[in-house]
Amino acid sequence: MRAAILQRAALGLAVATASAPALAQDSWAVGAVVDVSALSKTFPLGARDKDLGLGHSDVTVSGGIAGLFDARLTGAAHTHERKLEAHIEEASLATRTLPFGLQLKVGRFASQLGYLNEQHPHADDFIERPLPYRAFFGQHWFDDGVRLNWTAPSAAYVRLGVEAFRGRQLVRETASARRPGALVFSARTGGDLGSSMSWQAGASWLDNRREPLIEEDEHGHHDHDHAGEHEHEHAHGAAFSGRRGLVLDAVWKWAPGGNAKNEQLRLSGEYVRIERLNRHASADDRHDGGYVSLVYRFRPAWEAGVSAGVLNVRIPHEDHFHPGRLREASVMLAYKPGHLQSYRLQATRVSGARGFGEVPRWRVGLQVVLAIGAHPAHGF
Amino acid sequence: MRLVGLALVVAALIAAPGARALEVFACEPEWAALVRILLPEARITVATHAGQDPHEIEARPSLIAALRRADAAVCTGAGLEAGWLPMLQSRAANAKVQPGQPGMIEMARFTRLIDPRPASLSPFSGDVHPEGNPHFHLDPSRWPELARGLAQALTRLAPGHSTAMAERARAFEARWAERTRGWQARLAEAKRVRVAVQHTTFAYFFAFAGARVVADLEPKPGVPPTPGHLSATLGALRGAPPHAVWIATYQDARPARWLVGQMAGVRLVMLPATVDEAADESALVRWFDTLVGALAEVIAAVPAASLARSSGAAG
Repeated sequence: MRAAILQRAALGLAVATASAPALAQDSWAVGAVVDVSALSKTFPLGARDKDLGLGHSDVTVSGGIAGLFDARLTGAAHTHERKLEAHIEEASLATRTLPFGLQLKVGRFASQLGYLNEQHPHADDFIERPLPYRAFFGQHWFDDGVRLNWTAPSAAYVRLGVEAFRGRQLVRETASARRPGALVFSARTGGDLGSSMSWQAGASWLDNRREPLIEEDEHGHHDHDHAGEHEHEHAHGAAFSGRRGLVLDAVWKWAPGGNAKNEQLRLSGEYVRIERLNRHASADDRHDGGYVSLVYRFRPAWEAGVSAGVLNVRIPHEDHFHPGRLREASVMLAYKPGHLQSYRLQATRVSGARGFGEVPRWRVGLQVVLAIGAHPAHGF
Repeated sequence: MRLVGLALVVAALIAAPGARALEVFACEPEWAALVRILLPEARITVATHAGQDPHEIEARPSLIAALRRADAAVCTGAGLEAGWLPMLQSRAANAKVQPGQPGMIEMARFTRLIDPRPASLSPFSGDVHPEGNPHFHLDPSRWPELARGLAQALTRLAPGHSTAMAERARAFEARWAERTRGWQARLAEAKRVRVAVQHTTFAYFFAFAGARVVADLEPKPGVPPTPGHLSATLGALRGAPPHAVWIATYQDARPARWLVGQMAGVRLVMLPATVDEAADESALVRWFDTLVGALAEVIAAVPAASLARSSGAAG
């Protein structure tokens, strides 16, 4: 009997804590994701290297603690300018048994601001995250903090949440270190439209108490196209910051009869606005950006997609700003035989670049994502 | 102090079992049917239907909201819902249906699964359930033990209904034994039948019937058929074609149609792998009748000579 239970628990590298039946709910598992890409040219504000590079790859250990908490530890690595960067991306405890639909999470984890930030990057439909995520959240924003969520006991899905973070990743250098911290308030709702369609919409407000340092001209020359120079910095850091943020997101999915295995259409979009850039900013000085993405699964293992993104920023320069702008459009084709492998070919055209130096128009990328061991469930 | 007292009363009212109908979240329609048989008073939300691949369900907002309100979740377990249920549990933040809680009922606990596999680390080995094949609801002979197990598990959540549920489980078992004998009689010759399948969905049904599964259109579990694998399968089957290619209605039928078109005298059978969302016991019986009837037709079409040859080979 004990041997049988042991065998059942041995999922991937799963640690067989389930051999003690009382702790079956705690079953621990280990999984890894390896993401390799080859790009003909880099993406503006992108995280990936030209040519061959390691994308967002990670090892995750997760499980329950006495049936009370979900624990998760994720170590992630990727190459940036040919150097391997590694960090602890998640080290969190989330409650399972608070009453009234409450859930508390502490430690380091990804903020639930926006739609994509809550999704694991390996499930992304395109090689690089959309422009606003690259510009404002350092690809995806994870941080040290605490979260309290409430899910309503209503027929429609309603989730309200508040998060408090250190906010370090959002503001690279602060004018003052005395007021650390970022608060995120978020609301999410969604439902079904008949048997074939479902939707979700959310709004998040960001209040970042860390005030961005006013850019000094570090390089001793006055180059109006210097936003691109940020790219020598750590890839996980916002390129553009401010003290207030708003993120609106919406997702709509369609599958005939609700059977997504063979055919599915996914439409998603987000709009991000960042305000109060620094002490010299007027009310009109603000960043914003957005994207729309449409992906069609046309055969059980095949997906094709298009996406378009825009970014309008005010590049701080001493006591004034220079306008910055990027437009981007992508097409991709993905082959996903099962949950553990995906192969993606993508072409992206950048146009109308302003304030980012010389940005090559086209880049073509090939991406392979492989999962090893336990594989986490995906969100909507 | 008064506020605390009021809060406690409210909490007790909210938590009081038996004060209202048990709210059940059924991951699959077959378990909804079994809950209806055992506890007709329950209010049931069915998360999936026969037209969906139960491995590939979106953890959508409507399901999170339904699980949030549930007193109990009745699911297959054995990894079938691994791609979506943990996300629903986490997002619903409902203490009653978390892993290990009495309200989280995994039906796989009440039966012994076939085909457990050693866990694989390779990303190329498909979506393997190390616990074994989770489609055990397709074996009619397992339903009595499943009914007993579910009745016991629900007793912990609705103690007031304990006697009634035990009685209903016993009555169900008696009726079911009779029906199972009838199905077995109709399928007595099934061991002469060779079938090709797509995924191991119907494996328990063929094991019950005694039919032989000679090919799987999926190159690896959960990996959709590829042209290369299909042509290899065709090559392997040419010498002794199966009597039927048997798939579930939720599956992409194109590969099966192609394979059937390449060989003479092969029947394509496409049937729901579960009951309707609103199914009760009679609908459950009708569904098994349909499966048994379809296999009986395949048996009837097997030429007598082939029957003799097969039985000779088998003997």
